[in-house]
Amino acid sequence: MRWRIASVAAVGVLAWYLPYQLDLYGIHVVDIAIVFALLAIGLGLAMGVGGQINLAQVAFFGVSAYAVAILTTKAGLGFWTAAVLAVLAAALIGLFVGVPALRMQSHYLGIVTLGLALAFTNWVTNSAVTGGADGVSGIPVPPLFGIDLSSEYLYYYVELIVFGLALGFAVFLVRTGLGRRLRAMRDDSLAAGAIGAPVPVLRMTAFVLASLYGGVAGVLYAGLIRYVAPDTFSIANMFLLLAMVIIGGRQSILGCVVGALALSLLREALTDFATYAQLGFGAVVVLMVVFAPTGLAGIPGRIHRALRRGRAGEERAVLKPFQPSGHESRGSGASLEISGISKQFRGLKALTGVSMTVAPGEIRGVVGPNGSGKTTLFNIVSGIYTVSSGRASVNGTVVTGRRPHQLSRLGIARTFQNLRLFGQLTVRDNLLVALDRTSMWSVWRYLLWPIGIWRSERTLRQRADALLDRFGLSDFAGTTPGSLPYGIQRRVEIARALATNPSLLLLDEPAAGLNGQEVGQLREIVRSIRDSGVTVVLIEHNMGLVMSLCDRVTVLASGAVIADGTPAEVAARPEVIEAYLGDSMNTADLITEAESVR
Amino acid sequence: MTFVAQDLVVSGLSVHYGGVRAVNSVSFTVGAGECVGIVGANGAGKTSTLKALMGLVPRHADTLRFGDHDLTRTKARDIVRCGIGYVPEGRHVFPGLTVEKNLLLGAYTLPWKTAVQQTMSEVFDLFPMLAEMRHRLAGALSGGQQQMLAVGRALMANPKLILLDEPSMGLSPKLIDDILTVLRRLSAAGHALLLVEQNAKLTFEATTTCLVMENGEVAMTGTSTTLRHDPRVRQIYLGL
Amino acid sequence: MEVFFQTLVGGLSFGAVYALVAMGFSIVYRTMGLVNFAHGQVVMIGAYAASTFYMSAKLPFALAIVVAMAVTGLIGLVIERVLRPLENKDFDLMLIGTIGFGVVLESLATIIWGATGHAVPSPVDTAPLDLFGIRIRTYSLVVLAIAAVATVALILFLQRTKRGAAMQAVAMDHEAATAVGIHVGRSNAIAFAIGAGLAALAGALVAPMLYVNPTLGGSLGIKGFAAAILGGFGNIGGAIIGGLAIGVLDSFAAGHFQAYSELVVFLAFTVIIMIKPTGLFGERTVNRA
Repeated sequence: MRWRIASVAAVGVLAWYLPYQLDLYGIHVVDIAIVFALLAIGLGLAMGVGGQINLAQVAFFGVSAYAVAILTTKAGLGFWTAAVLAVLAAALIGLFVGVPALRMQSHYLGIVTLGLALAFTNWVTNSAVTGGADGVSGIPVPPLFGIDLSSEYLYYYVELIVFGLALGFAVFLVRTGLGRRLRAMRDDSLAAGAIGAPVPVLRMTAFVLASLYGGVAGVLYAGLIRYVAPDTFSIANMFLLLAMVIIGGRQSILGCVVGALALSLLREALTDFATYAQLGFGAVVVLMVVFAPTGLAGIPGRIHRALRRGRAGEERAVLKPFQPSGHESRGSGASLEISGISKQFRGLKALTGVSMTVAPGEIRGVVGPNGSGKTTLFNIVSGIYTVSSGRASVNGTVVTGRRPHQLSRLGIARTFQNLRLFGQLTVRDNLLVALDRTSMWSVWRYLLWPIGIWRSERTLRQRADALLDRFGLSDFAGTTPGSLPYGIQRRVEIARALATNPSLLLLDEPAAGLNGQEVGQLREIVRSIRDSGVTVVLIEHNMGLVMSLCDRVTVLASGAVIADGTPAEVAARPEVIEAYLGDSMNTADLITEAESVR
Repeated sequence: MTFVAQDLVVSGLSVHYGGVRAVNSVSFTVGAGECVGIVGANGAGKTSTLKALMGLVPRHADTLRFGDHDLTRTKARDIVRCGIGYVPEGRHVFPGLTVEKNLLLGAYTLPWKTAVQQTMSEVFDLFPMLAEMRHRLAGALSGGQQQMLAVGRALMANPKLILLDEPSMGLSPKLIDDILTVLRRLSAAGHALLLVEQNAKLTFEATTTCLVMENGEVAMTGTSTTLRHDPRVRQIYLGL
Repeated sequence: MEVFFQTLVGGLSFGAVYALVAMGFSIVYRTMGLVNFAHGQVVMIGAYAASTFYMSAKLPFALAIVVAMAVTGLIGLVIERVLRPLENKDFDLMLIGTIGFGVVLESLATIIWGATGHAVPSPVDTAPLDLFGIRIRTYSLVVLAIAAVATVALILFLQRTKRGAAMQAVAMDHEAATAVGIHVGRSNAIAFAIGAGLAALAGALVAPMLYVNPTLGGSLGIKGFAAAILGGFGNIGGAIIGGLAIGVLDSFAAGHFQAYSELVVFLAFTVIIMIKPTGLFGERTVNRA
């Protein structure tokens, strides 16, 4: 930490004295590079942190720069009034461009944002108000307490301060609640929704953040050059910006900045060989995505890991035993009532008229052969699927037809059959996303009361550490889940589900891939969770676990409930045995056999 | 073509998926023309065993041999060229292609000439329903029909050994009886079968020898007739 | 009414080109799930290659097209080989990688042919036909005819040949395809080469209709991609209809909004895709937990 503060201070001092070393051309290049660095931060926030492909970043930049130009020269507004309006305009466009992200992702989003960026260039090159291909000139020098900002040296300091604040804000944001949610959504939007992150709002937020940075960059650019023309906002520059972010490392804000500064300077140095430089940038981008997808920013981590592998086994992290919480049983959990649920996928009937009632504080097993509709049932109760007919309610509140993140707030938590942890977040961050129950309305604090965020972060961290302790995961708090053994990952996912403070917990095959000892630990954990006041429903194929753990068992076959009762009752039912073994065979000896085992 | 006796010999076969051990040191043999079954509950590692034989998942084995072919060195796409046909779990027919095209693709490794037409008419004899629907898209077939098509597709390459993965999945008892009839006819025609099933009754009736798998390991081995009346099989299934 | 038909005919000939671009996108996407953002640049290289062989090497136009298709086919193979490690893994990285390739191709074109570009004389110099008062350029008819022939050839290849059937099988279920003995990697490479070849055909055909320059790929690529999405991504028949639709939309937008046609086309495209993200003929995929 001290080392970090010292290096930030050192960079700050260097930046402050930099102009003394530069000639007029040099300072101009640096001023432009800072504008690109701001744009790159915005793009990094949307793409690297939020996972939203955004090829319209130059359009946000352009909207703001043009707004300043038009408002100052044609509407006669003062520079700073125009600047505020311009940033707002960029944010508005950001919202507009972000709307498609609600419906589509990945390459579809790429083409739509790229298309909208082209639409923007098409508009500015042809409209009379934007001056067509000639652009708008005569933007006034920004007034600032009598400081002459027509000097690019002095303007540098304005840029430096704005840039410092913007960079600090971005880094703060990425490390605290909002950024964590964005990163969680990037890694797995389905799981993020299931633990309470409002995915649609977050997607829009990613675009608004990108456009805000684009807007600020546009204002600075307009004040610096005092002339705007369509060329600056071309698709070629969009790709240059993309190259900066990819080469620097899209998931690291500092990486984006380094990439932007490096490529801006490089481009100036190679200005006589512009085409070859472009060729080189393109080739480097291709090589980067194949060989170093985390960019320059990821290289220190790779070296670090390679070194650590060299001297392995120094202090091995150990999974500590789970500690059943002795304290507080908050009520007895929620009741779950499912009545007549049917679900069809394009004519395929996955569930037909499924009804079941789970009492508060119960551990209920849901079993059945492959493809009998168990996971579909979970997906309906947790809001991932809509029902074709019927409804489910938790504690009397109807839950069908609501979004996963709303259901998470109603106290429903779940795990997934194939583990959906946030792969690039640490184990602690995985839990923190779930522990953070603040609503999206509280993002205003980022602008007006960052101290408040800092404080709640501290309490969240304490609670995360307590939870890590309880699950015996403390040694793994700082590691990413992908590098952990499977059994530990399963435990992390249960801890994450529990971090949302649920009253109903749905576990989808929690014992899959666990060894005998781990299954035993799982049994302990589930019992303790129930004792702390949570109703548990679990899908499981390990019948030994189901028989010893569950209070009641529901058997599904071909999308319908075929039996419901205590484990012993259910295991004796001929139709259940038939569903499992294909034939009821002679069940009489089985029941006596079962009784002798007990 | 000379018909050498071809045994499938498997020993010490293990499969790992990112830290999970799905199959742990499994060994068995399928003799030429023999019918062997693997039963067990969901998640016992049956499907992984078959996929490992086909080279579709990363695996490790001491021995994996079919006749003269060392399967550990054979790429997934060349397994069929060794005379092993595969009927995957959940059918996996090519849904957007016609029944006829699906069958022809089964004979992808052979030249599409008269010999293939001959095999196709044999498949149509076995499954007259497929002949009626030969121009229908495979995706439009019912589950049972798709299952027959998947078996037919595997037969098109004239395999000596057929691996079948849960052919009964999602089918009604009547259709499961049809599957049993088909399996018996395939066996009578001299094909060796390795049948992976959750449906124990079907397996015991179709095969002579059986393995019961539990948690990725072979829990029991025996003749199908003895296993059929062994209560321990049901205990393994129902976790009693 | 005459104006309407005049615009329609103009739109259809461009639409045929977009359809070829869209088919190239679709065939690659179908077989390997890769969205090639460099496809537009491949079209541009095709346009340059064909026009150079036609004008400088004095090859017959048809032969120039074939040579250009071979050139871009090779480029397609290179792109596929380099990005193969990312296949079926990270969609976003693959997308960015192909954008990188696009930048490389564009700068290569600038280095080889210069930044200014050149006009290509129409290879068919007969006078325009007059049909009920509508003037139809003979070359437009040639474009439509060649596009139709290429489409039929592609469909025949997919439906009548063993290799075509195997490619479709790979697209539908690559594991089952492997099990019947199909070499999936080779099948993908061929799909990529065909896609790139179609790009060259589109580029060569559009060269006499537009001014050939290094940035030609951007707009053609995006419109072709829009056409592919509109038709339901990966659907060959949909790509043709999507292409013709974008061409006609483009042509009417140019008629009514003059210089703002691109703006209108992309806004309209965004709205359509918002309402129906899977395109007109696409299938909705089920989101599995």
